[in-house]
Amino acid sequence: MASSGVALAEPIVLPRRLNWRKVASLTRSYLALAFYLFIAVFPLIWMLMTSLKDDADLVDATVSPFWFHKPLAFNHYVYLFTRTSFVQWLQNTFLIAGLTLAITLAVCIPGAYALARLDFFGAEKLGVGIFMTYLVPPILLFLPLSRLVAGGLHLGNNKLALVLVYPTFTIPFCMWLLMGFFKRVPRELEEAALVDGCNRWQAVCRVVLPLTMAGILTVAIFAFTLAMQDFLYALTFTSSSSEKPLTVGVPTELIRGDVFFWGELMTAALVAGIPVAILYNFFLDYFIEGITGSVK
Amino acid sequence: MNGLMAHRAEPLPARRLGIVRPARINLGRDFGLGYALLSPALVYMLALVGYPFVLALWFSLSNSSISGDEAHFVGLRNYIGLMGDSVFRSSLKNSLMFVFVAEIFKTLLGIGLAFVLLRNLPAKKVIRGFLMLPWTIPVSLSLLGWKWMFDPQFSVINYTGAHLGILHSPLPDWLGQTQYAIAAILTVNIWRGFPFAAVVILAGLTSIPQEIFDTCKIDGAGPLTRWHYVITPIIAPILFIGLIFDVVFTLGDLTIVYLLTNGGPINTTDILPTLSFREGVNGGDLGLGSATALFLFPFLFVAVFVFLRMLRRREI
Repeated sequence: MASSGVALAEPIVLPRRLNWRKVASLTRSYLALAFYLFIAVFPLIWMLMTSLKDDADLVDATVSPFWFHKPLAFNHYVYLFTRTSFVQWLQNTFLIAGLTLAITLAVCIPGAYALARLDFFGAEKLGVGIFMTYLVPPILLFLPLSRLVAGGLHLGNNKLALVLVYPTFTIPFCMWLLMGFFKRVPRELEEAALVDGCNRWQAVCRVVLPLTMAGILTVAIFAFTLAMQDFLYALTFTSSSSEKPLTVGVPTELIRGDVFFWGELMTAALVAGIPVAILYNFFLDYFIEGITGSVK
Repeated sequence: MNGLMAHRAEPLPARRLGIVRPARINLGRDFGLGYALLSPALVYMLALVGYPFVLALWFSLSNSSISGDEAHFVGLRNYIGLMGDSVFRSSLKNSLMFVFVAEIFKTLLGIGLAFVLLRNLPAKKVIRGFLMLPWTIPVSLSLLGWKWMFDPQFSVINYTGAHLGILHSPLPDWLGQTQYAIAAILTVNIWRGFPFAAVVILAGLTSIPQEIFDTCKIDGAGPLTRWHYVITPIIAPILFIGLIFDVVFTLGDLTIVYLLTNGGPINTTDILPTLSFREGVNGGDLGLGSATALFLFPFLFVAVFVFLRMLRRREI
């Protein structure tokens, strides 16, 4: 991978001029990198600065906004954790994401195993069909689902409604990924276990599952972070503060009418967003592999 | 000959899809067990994706409302009503325009970033982690930072622009004037999506075998020739799949517009998702809201169709 990278970026040069060319192309790369880093990170640095500024400093249009003109203020952080429902939303988010993760694994592990190992009529069509549902966006389903959870299931304004609905977008992708992980376990190992006297259940539990632990963990992180990212369903299904997850609680409850509590908003967005981003980063490679691998 | 060909060609599609045909002993061909293990997933998806989808179709053909009164079949009245509605037409136009412009910029920025990430950089993983932040942070939270940067009074963009002499008074009210609001929405859309485009393109680039580049070097192909005749054809399928996913996510996403402008000023930045939400949830008209969202369906259908075709072509 690294070697093909060098080949792509470097023109063909005579050995004697190599160093000079290398320096020029390295400089270009680093300039480009700096440009991209600036675009990607500036809004977040800005949020961090805002979260640490004194309120009077924030709304003083006469001074440069690029520096601190009052001592660093941690009052936004204190306020957020003591005077708002932030902790409650944090708990809700973890509860919802945790339960979503449990349902996703309970449904996907047996399903993906079947798709990877068992040959039954229509298996490949069903596998593709389940993956295809990933291309049905929530915006097509949120109105009927809101009717279903509020009407038939009596889960109106209840975070459990989200636990029920989130697996609709975690299952397709997790199933697809897990199927790949199961395929990587050589079937000879499983056959050997059967020959040695295990039944199928024991072979799966003692041989296949331990070997796919890394894959299952990846899928678990994936389901967890996806559930933390949702906005539309949470906005539609929950209305009281005690039921909201972070993604909805922060933008709807920290803005009251036309009054924006910028310090608190930025603090909340960072405190909630950065951990999700770090988690997401762990499985990013698998996410890309899942999407692009589907055509490999 | 024929039999041989069939033998060679047949097992491949199955393996590509992850289903390996039974090789020797009793690992495969367990009809009952297969369905039993897959059934929870099937039931879940049928009950909470399939059924709601049918329900959405029914809503769009009825006068269903949140109040729970008896709903009646009204035929295509919702759809016809929408076609005559200027807000709907501008929302549809915005939806398509946002996706089109955003995808172009995301792809261009993504290509550039992918080539940067191909280099052997120190602390590559950490740098990539920072570069991915726009994509990995939940967009409903990072948007708040943008909303603050677009603040009518304390916009850092206006401050910088005015001090550098690029912007002159009256300074733009980013979220309050239509043309600036559109620019703001596009900016956030592109900012959010370009890292994803980059990693998808990177995945394509790293899948190109080194031998191909060696051959190119021997044949004397320059960077442009390589890009045009070698890199593009090879990464095209992956780029295309990434694009399909991103188009679907972007078309269906309500978060950016909802939190930045909520369609304002005066519905000029509305897109189909925000309109559907306002009609269906705030207005309580499930029929109209569902019909609005279902206008996205033809585009999604094309996406799924193309996706399946590419899947098949790669297998055979």
